[in-house]
Amino acid sequence: MTKIIDLKIKEKIYKNKKLQISILNNFNLEVNAGEKIAIVGESGVGKSSLLNIIGLLDRDYNGEYTLFDSRANSLHTSELAQWRNQKIGFVLQESALINSLTIEDNIKLPLLYADSGKKEFKLEDFENVINAIDIESILKKKPLECSGGEKARAVFARGIIMKPQIILADEPTASLDVENRERIVNLLFKMNKEFNTTIITVTHDLEMANRYDRVIHLERRK
Amino acid sequence: MKIFKFIISKIFLRKAILGIGMILLLCMANYITFTATRSILSTFQGYRETEYINQEGVYTANLDPNSHIDMGVISENGTQAVYDYLNNNFNYAFYTDGFIVSVPNSYDMKISLGYMNEQYYRLNEFELSQGTDLDFDYQLDGEIPVLIGKGLSKTYPVGSTIKIDEFVLGRPVTLKVQGILKQNTYHSNYYALNSKTYYNFSILIPVNEAFINNANMDLKLNGLMDIITLNTTKEEVTDLSKVIKDNMGLKFNFFSQQENYDYFNEYYLHSLKIIAITTFILFIVITCLSIWNALVSVRLMLKDFTINLLVGLSYSKLRKIFYIYFGILSFINLTVIFIITAFNRYGCWLRKDATFATYGLFGLIGMDWLSLLVVVLSDIIIGMVIVENMLRKIKKVPISLRVLQ
Repeated sequence: MTKIIDLKIKEKIYKNKKLQISILNNFNLEVNAGEKIAIVGESGVGKSSLLNIIGLLDRDYNGEYTLFDSRANSLHTSELAQWRNQKIGFVLQESALINSLTIEDNIKLPLLYADSGKKEFKLEDFENVINAIDIESILKKKPLECSGGEKARAVFARGIIMKPQIILADEPTASLDVENRERIVNLLFKMNKEFNTTIITVTHDLEMANRYDRVIHLERRK
Repeated sequence: MKIFKFIISKIFLRKAILGIGMILLLCMANYITFTATRSILSTFQGYRETEYINQEGVYTANLDPNSHIDMGVISENGTQAVYDYLNNNFNYAFYTDGFIVSVPNSYDMKISLGYMNEQYYRLNEFELSQGTDLDFDYQLDGEIPVLIGKGLSKTYPVGSTIKIDEFVLGRPVTLKVQGILKQNTYHSNYYALNSKTYYNFSILIPVNEAFINNANMDLKLNGLMDIITLNTTKEEVTDLSKVIKDNMGLKFNFFSQQENYDYFNEYYLHSLKIIAITTFILFIVITCLSIWNALVSVRLMLKDFTINLLVGLSYSKLRKIFYIYFGILSFINLTVIFIITAFNRYGCWLRKDATFATYGLFGLIGMDWLSLLVVVLSDIIIGMVIVENMLRKIKKVPISLRVLQ
């Protein structure tokens, strides 16, 4: 098994206007390619912060992070952006769409930032993705004209359009009904099975978490 | 380019009111910067031009604002007596213009005649593009050597003659072109330094004692209004003032070097300071409003920016996009100001307004280009302040999954 993530966090200070708290103290995580990991824990324990760090969105912490054998702290911001475009896919809640764009434009958004050589190849894949996810009928609609389930699938399609090696999902099914929840989870697992994609999901749903290879419980520091 | 088009059209210009607001704010900032700079430059030009009268022993005549011109009291003999007194006791510079005459020319402009004596000519050191200096030692019944503006040089090259019905002499005269003035040669109003007359379509006629003696009242009276006495004393100009009062019933003031400086400081330097300070304050206010407008845009579009940053947009690319966007806005505004200025300058040609017609691209002259350059510099400053503030605002809310929820 190839280790793709090696994360050692000594401390992460979470700040907002009102408070400043220390989270993820002495937290270590190693992830192999193709693993399915669920992260659970109560609110405010640092689940989303952890996903931000793994997804190269946040480098403001005390620790070391090696991703695909490269030290995240030594990457330039343009390299980080490129990695987020090519290697990491974000699958978020259904609200993470740009309302002024059609579903098709939302899904194709990562292609805009892809290297020109790869763009053609990815455009060919677009047809396969929308067929697999069954969203052809809503491509020309705007997000506000779609149901929650349709939007969640569109967000999922955008997350996988670049065939990323890692998918980071932040409670992607939190506001969905059972049928749509099942659909999204199955799609995630299908990606994992077919392309050996590493899946790291933050969830409150313990039943769903137990379907993953590994469950990481984050707890508040005593 | 594709990313730029996408970000601007699908995100930035989605809230049209904010985009239009930004254009209008930048346009205001550019326009006030342009007009203030041009006004200051023009006044400075006028100040430099009149430096020659700000000398020790030089006094400039100025009709007292409370003195009423009663043409019934002013007689031919009285006026001539004043000039006789001037000729006998003073070394003086004489200049008057604004006498319009029809002279055939390729632009169909009405031509303005300017009259000056040798002292005035020497003081001004007119620059010529062709020909030789004016000769003031001529006979009235022969050809009178003149200088002409560039606009007349095609029709009347050096050595050619122009026949006109001379209004101030009251008879036809033949003018011989002795030299061509450099393009855009100008004369500033002594009491409104930023107001200028351009000589591109003027004929400058040398005036000697015989000419003045034979000229009508209009020339003599107008010439007296701005007469400059050289190498003289306060007592002497006080006597001259008395002679004018006795013979013409007019009260004239003669301003010394110090009084000229005081006048400049009181009216011009002061108003220039006010213009500069007001412009600066307005500039700061407009810049702050522009920043506020930009930050409102960022706030409204934060989710959209964050999604783009998540899927591959980098801060450096975003910075580049913002700079290109503001560069384009500045270019649009600069073009608008250029068109307004060109319309004003070129409009003088279309209106056949000879005293303001200038040479240059669409009539734009040096001070216009310099002012446009200042506008470009001010736009660079505004653009940098706005873009860096926008990025600071976007970076302040770290791109995170939380922003989207």
